Amino acid sequence: MNDHCATCAAFNQLEQMGLTLDDFDRVVALAGNPNTGKSTLFNALTGLKQHTGNWPGKTVTRAEGGFEFNGVRYKLVDLPGTYSLLSASQDEEVARDFILFGQPDCVIVVTDATALERNLNLVLQVLEITDKVVVAVNMMDEARRKGLDVDPRALARDLGVPAVPISARTGEGLSALLRTMAEVIEGQIRTQPRRVHGTPAFQRAVAELAAEIEAAIPGIPNARWVAIRLLDGDERVRQALLNDEFPQLIARQRQADVRFSNKISLEGRQ
Amino acid sequence: MTSWLFFFLLLALLAAPRVGLYALWQARRAERAREQVEDALKYLLDHEQAGLHVTTAALAGALRLSPARAARLADRMAAQGLLEFRGPALHLTPDGERWAMDVLRAHRLWERYLADEARMPLEKIHREAHRREHTLTAEQLDALDAALGYPQFDPHGDPIPRPGRPPAERGQPATSWPPDTAGRIIHLEDEPPLAYQQILAAGLQLGQIVRVLERTPERLVLSDGQNEYRLAPAVAANIFLAPAHDARPLPAGVQPLHLLPHGQPAEIVAIDERIQGFTRRRFLDLGLTPGTRIVPALENFFREPRAYRVRGTLIALRNDQAAHILVRPLNAEEASDE
Amino acid sequence: MTQAEQILKKADRLRRELPRNFRDEMVQSLYDEAERIARRAVQEREGRSYDLDQKIDRIVTSPIFGLPIMLLLLALVIWITVIGANYPSEWLANGLFWFENQAATLFERWGAPWWLTGFLWHGVYRGLAWVVSVMLPPMAIFFPLFTFLEDLGYLPRVAFNMDWLFKKAGAHGKQSLTMAMGFGCNAAGVVATRIIDSPRERLIAILTNNFVPCNGRFPTLIMLGTIFVAANFPPALTSFVAAGSVVAIVMIGVFFTLLISWLLSRTVLKGEASAFTLELPPYRRPNLGRILYTSLIDRTIFVLWRAITTAAPAGAVIWLLANISVGGVSLAQHIAGFLDPLGWLIGLDGVILLAYIIAIPANEIVVPTMLMVYLGTGMMIDLPWDQLGVILVEQHGWTLLTAINLMLFALLHNPCATTILTIYKETGSKKWATFSVVITLGTAFLVTFLTASLARAFGWV
Repeated sequence: MNDHCATCAAFNQLEQMGLTLDDFDRVVALAGNPNTGKSTLFNALTGLKQHTGNWPGKTVTRAEGGFEFNGVRYKLVDLPGTYSLLSASQDEEVARDFILFGQPDCVIVVTDATALERNLNLVLQVLEITDKVVVAVNMMDEARRKGLDVDPRALARDLGVPAVPISARTGEGLSALLRTMAEVIEGQIRTQPRRVHGTPAFQRAVAELAAEIEAAIPGIPNARWVAIRLLDGDERVRQALLNDEFPQLIARQRQADVRFSNKISLEGRQ
Repeated sequence: MTSWLFFFLLLALLAAPRVGLYALWQARRAERAREQVEDALKYLLDHEQAGLHVTTAALAGALRLSPARAARLADRMAAQGLLEFRGPALHLTPDGERWAMDVLRAHRLWERYLADEARMPLEKIHREAHRREHTLTAEQLDALDAALGYPQFDPHGDPIPRPGRPPAERGQPATSWPPDTAGRIIHLEDEPPLAYQQILAAGLQLGQIVRVLERTPERLVLSDGQNEYRLAPAVAANIFLAPAHDARPLPAGVQPLHLLPHGQPAEIVAIDERIQGFTRRRFLDLGLTPGTRIVPALENFFREPRAYRVRGTLIALRNDQAAHILVRPLNAEEASDE
Repeated sequence: MTQAEQILKKADRLRRELPRNFRDEMVQSLYDEAERIARRAVQEREGRSYDLDQKIDRIVTSPIFGLPIMLLLLALVIWITVIGANYPSEWLANGLFWFENQAATLFERWGAPWWLTGFLWHGVYRGLAWVVSVMLPPMAIFFPLFTFLEDLGYLPRVAFNMDWLFKKAGAHGKQSLTMAMGFGCNAAGVVATRIIDSPRERLIAILTNNFVPCNGRFPTLIMLGTIFVAANFPPALTSFVAAGSVVAIVMIGVFFTLLISWLLSRTVLKGEASAFTLELPPYRRPNLGRILYTSLIDRTIFVLWRAITTAAPAGAVIWLLANISVGGVSLAQHIAGFLDPLGWLIGLDGVILLAYIIAIPANEIVVPTMLMVYLGTGMMIDLPWDQLGVILVEQHGWTLLTAINLMLFALLHNPCATTILTIYKETGSKKWATFSVVITLGTAFLVTFLTASLARAFGWV
């Protein structure tokens, strides 16, 4: 596949690894609304053939695959398509849990350029949880066909994270996406995610609770989000707090970073 | 030989632990006993909160027991330390009150669940919740509460009691509400069912802001600014109002989404207060937030569901769902605004 | 109190102090922000060609054309499947059975004992070959067609058109799609219920999927419709009546789907969580390569593999029953004799019931098994239809009632082993898997008992 792209630079560096998942350096999650071409992107990167019906709710459990880019092996996890991470539906729980507890090194949020407004709702929610985010603006070709001019730079500026225009079906823009992803993971791109504040009363409550959470769990990266979830009455987060899962998460994340930098120094890569 | 085999089979059927007939009968009896105790507790709590006294005879009437059985039940509960006798009147002990609150909490949480998650019609949830309120352990009750996102009110507007917190005010009946003062409907009493059905049929809803226009011994007239609701005072006494501080009256011309004509653009004004929990979440997550533009775009053979264009996508809603979304039709000028 | 508990307590207190609709405000502020950002990033060009999707939608969901277009497409897909599968099925059967004979001859030449040759080749292999040749071609045609409509984005429109009917039955419009999938294979239909995101409606769709006859049952229905029902009409009308009787059976299946859905939603599943969401995505140009891959590898091979793993043991059991004799009569005959009274009660006979019991693993082998027992052969066989009719009517007392009740029974009876297993996997509960068998089998017995009793009471047979 992707013959038409055999000449582009990225595809010389990209190696699809299908289901070989035993040895990987980084974990990347694919999130997005239903029907935004997430699975198509997943297939294009891993060379797998996940079914992609034009139909919300196809990917019910998460699918995993691997690819290698510039010598780094990535595990790619395709999360169920959801409109939001707030409700208690099963899909949303799977997606939310992975972004929080799976501790991916980067989350690529796939958005549909023809319905950006709806898709940004999810992007903003992901930005609440983690700042290692790249927004893939998919279906740029379709948007053009429908007479929409989408400006990814304006998007990136407003969101505080990179936004890369792609067309997963034709393979357009994939190399840029992967490069950006790698740079976000390695910290060459510093993200400043846009956080939505809500009403003043809500803000105060969140700030008060977040301060307490930070005091209780030093080093927690997303105290604000945890505070919001607790105010909302999120049972899973409540349990995580009661079972002391957060300190473990932080410890595991550090370990993974150390392991990877060790590996790089051993192999003499920069 | 065969008859022996038969005999043993029969014995097993009767006496098997857990699944044998005797064991099932025992379990059912224990369940019945718990139901009786809990119904009695609820009845007592209800009357004590209203400042009324309950006698054994009244309890017998309420639970449909013979006076002798009611007396035995009261004695048994007194022995368990749930209630005490003060002369002819029965009073809850602190233990009894705590248990009664738990039953009330279970009942209201179940109503919330049945209305939000199982989408049962409001007039049916009371009975089903009553059936289910006696089945949960304390941990299961907490889990249900958490799963529903700690709702504060049941679908009738009653506060859901939680341990260590007194239940809030229930408001003032519409029959004694000062005329020409805006009041928010905070509770619709679902007993007796006939009155409740009449209120629902009239189109009155929880959260609605109304004024009392007219009060005579024959009837009571309420208005929400657009419609007038005429009710018998006996029915109106089941509507409870509280002062509406933050109340913005709904703008004129607001109508439920399912009545919006095909192709007519509109702006979402509000989502019905009665819709809570998962269903409300779902609406909001789909982008059906106040201020959003929406157009009924597709209509099929059955005229239901209809597909609406909202935030760049087509979303199909059934009429009973769309009825909970209040919209204001946009005039030609506003519609071409963007 | 631990620190965590203190935090939770504080969260509870803060939550109570917030206005009661703070969740609404939270979502609203997210969407407001999204709207602002989107407005800055997206420019609409003048005279945009936005309307093609809308034009198509207005036709395929129109009050006038919507339903006819849908029915036409469904009929077309089934017709292409049935007609298109005929020849490949025949070639496949010829090839596979030729191989069986060659292998059996070879075994005999090597001096292998007769029971080994019989068991391996006329039992296990034959069961397998039968299922593969009946099942593979229709599925290899049906699934790509279905996947094409799916990838195009047409299917959500079908759900949209049909939802009202399903709402009345307490179910979800998307169930119409899992039913359509069930025409290909009920196990695939059960898997497809994943698109229904509401727990109650999904369970309903799972439990009733079997009322749609799958590819494995269609040949039986067509055969019965042709040689029994249509035979009572003038020759000119034969093919119409045959097709009509199959359509009628499908309609009865739809009726029972809705009826049982209605009953389930009001009894067993009352109070289960329920929600309705249906998005109509924009149309997309399907990718042919992906369609073929998905439908052939993901669906066809998947279903075929499961069928094979159950058909081989079934073939073995069938052969053993036909070839082990007690008192000079085969086990199969014994059991058939035992089941005869029950069979009579529902207008069938013991042999048919036996065939259904041992064909639970795969419905395709019901008729060949029946013939095996009727004719006393040692292996499953098939006959040309004209001979078949004569033998069944003259030697085994079949009547129009037998044929009609067999059609009803084939439509309503329990799911095949593959489907039951799939239901178990999808619901994760033995209770629901068992329940799916109980309701279908219960319905089948009840309905056939009623028709048989009525027919006898009125003296029609």
